[in-house]
Amino acid sequence: MNVLKVPARTIAVFVLPCLLLYTALVFVPILVSVYTGTLDWNGINQAVFVGLDNFKALFTIDAVFWPSVKRTLLFAVFSMAEIPVALCVAILLCRYLKRPNFLVSSYFLPVILSVVIIGQLWKTIYDPASMGGMLNQILITLGLGAWTKSWLTEPDVAMIALYFVALWQYLGYHVLIQFTGVTSIPSEIYEAAQIDGAVGFTADRHITFPLMIPVFKISIILAFIGSLQAFDLIMVMTGGGPAHATDVISTHMYNMSFLSMKYGYGSAIAVFLVLLCLISTLIINTLFRTLEKRQS
Amino acid sequence: MATTKPHPFLRLTLVFMLTLSLSACGGNTTNTSPTASKGITSDESTSLQSEQSTQEQVTITFQNIYPDPNTPSYKMMMKIVSDFESANKNINIELDSLNTDQQKLKLKTQAASKEVPDITIVNPSEQMKPFVDAGLLAPLNDILDQNGLKDTFLTGILDYYTFDHNVYALPDGNNTAVVYYNKDMFAQAGVEVPTTFEAMIDVVKTLKAAGIQPMVIGEKDSWTGSFLFMNILLRTNGGPGFLQDVLDKKRTFNDPAFEEAVNKFQDLVQAGAFQDGATSFDYNAGENLFKSGKAAMYFMGTWATGGIDDSSVAGKIDAFKFPTVSGKGNVDEYMLAPGSAFAISAHSKHLKEAKAFLHYFMMHYPKVNFDLKNAVGLAQKVDGDFKAAGYSDLAMNLLKLAENVKGGDLAFDNMMNPSTAQVHLTSIQNLFVQKKEAKEVAAEHQAAFAANNP
Repeated sequence: MNVLKVPARTIAVFVLPCLLLYTALVFVPILVSVYTGTLDWNGINQAVFVGLDNFKALFTIDAVFWPSVKRTLLFAVFSMAEIPVALCVAILLCRYLKRPNFLVSSYFLPVILSVVIIGQLWKTIYDPASMGGMLNQILITLGLGAWTKSWLTEPDVAMIALYFVALWQYLGYHVLIQFTGVTSIPSEIYEAAQIDGAVGFTADRHITFPLMIPVFKISIILAFIGSLQAFDLIMVMTGGGPAHATDVISTHMYNMSFLSMKYGYGSAIAVFLVLLCLISTLIINTLFRTLEKRQS
Repeated sequence: MATTKPHPFLRLTLVFMLTLSLSACGGNTTNTSPTASKGITSDESTSLQSEQSTQEQVTITFQNIYPDPNTPSYKMMMKIVSDFESANKNINIELDSLNTDQQKLKLKTQAASKEVPDITIVNPSEQMKPFVDAGLLAPLNDILDQNGLKDTFLTGILDYYTFDHNVYALPDGNNTAVVYYNKDMFAQAGVEVPTTFEAMIDVVKTLKAAGIQPMVIGEKDSWTGSFLFMNILLRTNGGPGFLQDVLDKKRTFNDPAFEEAVNKFQDLVQAGAFQDGATSFDYNAGENLFKSGKAAMYFMGTWATGGIDDSSVAGKIDAFKFPTVSGKGNVDEYMLAPGSAFAISAHSKHLKEAKAFLHYFMMHYPKVNFDLKNAVGLAQKVDGDFKAAGYSDLAMNLLKLAENVKGGDLAFDNMMNPSTAQVHLTSIQNLFVQKKEAKEVAAEHQAAFAANNP
């Protein structure tokens, strides 16, 4: 603070508007959710205070909840596994192309498309062959007719089909982040390394990877939190169905709050989701801090 | 799947934004009311004009489920609203047009903060009960008694909107479920209209063998499958009243009638009646398959008639009554679908004007719909010669069929509370993707019922 050489009061004046807005839009709703999570309330009528009953039911009775948590976490794992791929793509783009910007922009294109459009697009791609689904048609053309499936309605594969679309959409986003990181590494370092005989993968291992850790961390956290909150794509493509087979935490929360009209119960799920996000972010941060320490 | 906001806390807000402000979804669809430029005949003006000509301008919000300008319902609404506005210069009707699901969601969100629009749409029986219990809706008995509005409604239809002798909403329709079929495709495969459920399964198999998609359904919106299932239950139960018995705790879901219905329903699914990936088709996508001539049969409420007559298969379609199942049931008993209904907010600032508008709206509702060829399955009596007005054969058949309705059952979600209904909807949707033991399905229902109806 003293570095700025301004009185604390001035700082307060400048920070206050944002702080108020932030409190009103973030902290207050979180606290309200914690409170409504302890109510038996349909959102319209008189609410009844039930203490921790909602959470108890959520953790012990609800047959949909834990599978949806599992699907959500699996989603997060896949999203994070995508980051190294994005990093490799970024390194390749940097190294072998004179003007990589065009390619990076094209990879980025799906990110700016609306999720509803992406969802509808992939829904038709996944359609059964009898409805003209592209994926199945291709499989048949390749003589792999036995592999055709109704991708979005078979409980075993529907979730994987959804993961794939999400990964496809966000690959370009992470490539862009990683690409920016890679290009910002000064070329002198590589030149110096070249003199010492470190080229190609050796240079990557000892220069690119360590210097990329902070950027890598951003991508990982974004991917992780983003997938915990996955909602729109699933809502558009399957709506959580068939029979809860593609429900994740957020769709379960939506179904409970608005379709089953258990607003209190839905809030309890929301609270769980907040805690999950917070704890996971803490864990990831700690992991990276130890990693950075080791590197330095 | 990451989005672009970098700060974790900011991202968390999204979750809450979702719960707190879903109403924003429909924000863009608010239309301004039509200009009051269309001519009206003098007899359409109401007494309100003279009473209120000296009063200030009043704006009434009319939340509705007619957003599509291509539909007869939309044209009907615009006509009545603009006529009313011409007759009552001081009243301005502001339309908030949303599709059905959005409207349900928006109303629930608005209700949570007690900000129900002046006029809104609710659904019958159990679905509107929470709103009535919370005292959000105004009783409409007074406008029903005005100018004989009550007598324009069909006998008994208002019961579904009545609580404690007060009517809280006025329905826009009264439909029954039938099986629409494509006559050309039936002829092509050489099959007859089935009179038993077992024959219907044979028809499915024959059609399939002839390379024709037997039936279509938009099962992503799970109510569609439930509607069909409930019709089978109506037959296996030998008549209406199964869910009422369950509610009265006289019977449980572990009942032979219910289990037989599950098995019969699975027979139909396993025979390959429905299109591949049925659970990923929403209501419109499913119906479009039928309307574009890609399937032979379609089970739906009679409200679909107008749309079918307006599609490329118009003229090729007829409808048959849902057949008996194992020789049980009466084909003149139907799945009954009393329509969505117009209700008025009890806390409306302009209660008097809102009531005046709704009264005017309902008084003109049958006539305007009749002129737009949209009068099949109304909740009110319609004066006029349908044949002479150019209604299709399909429409004429359904009108005749409606005269012989001998009662029936309501859809599951109109009978049971939302939590139980959701379990049921999911359970039936599951039958489309995997075969289950009837006992298991019954037990699932019973457990949900017991948990939500202490």
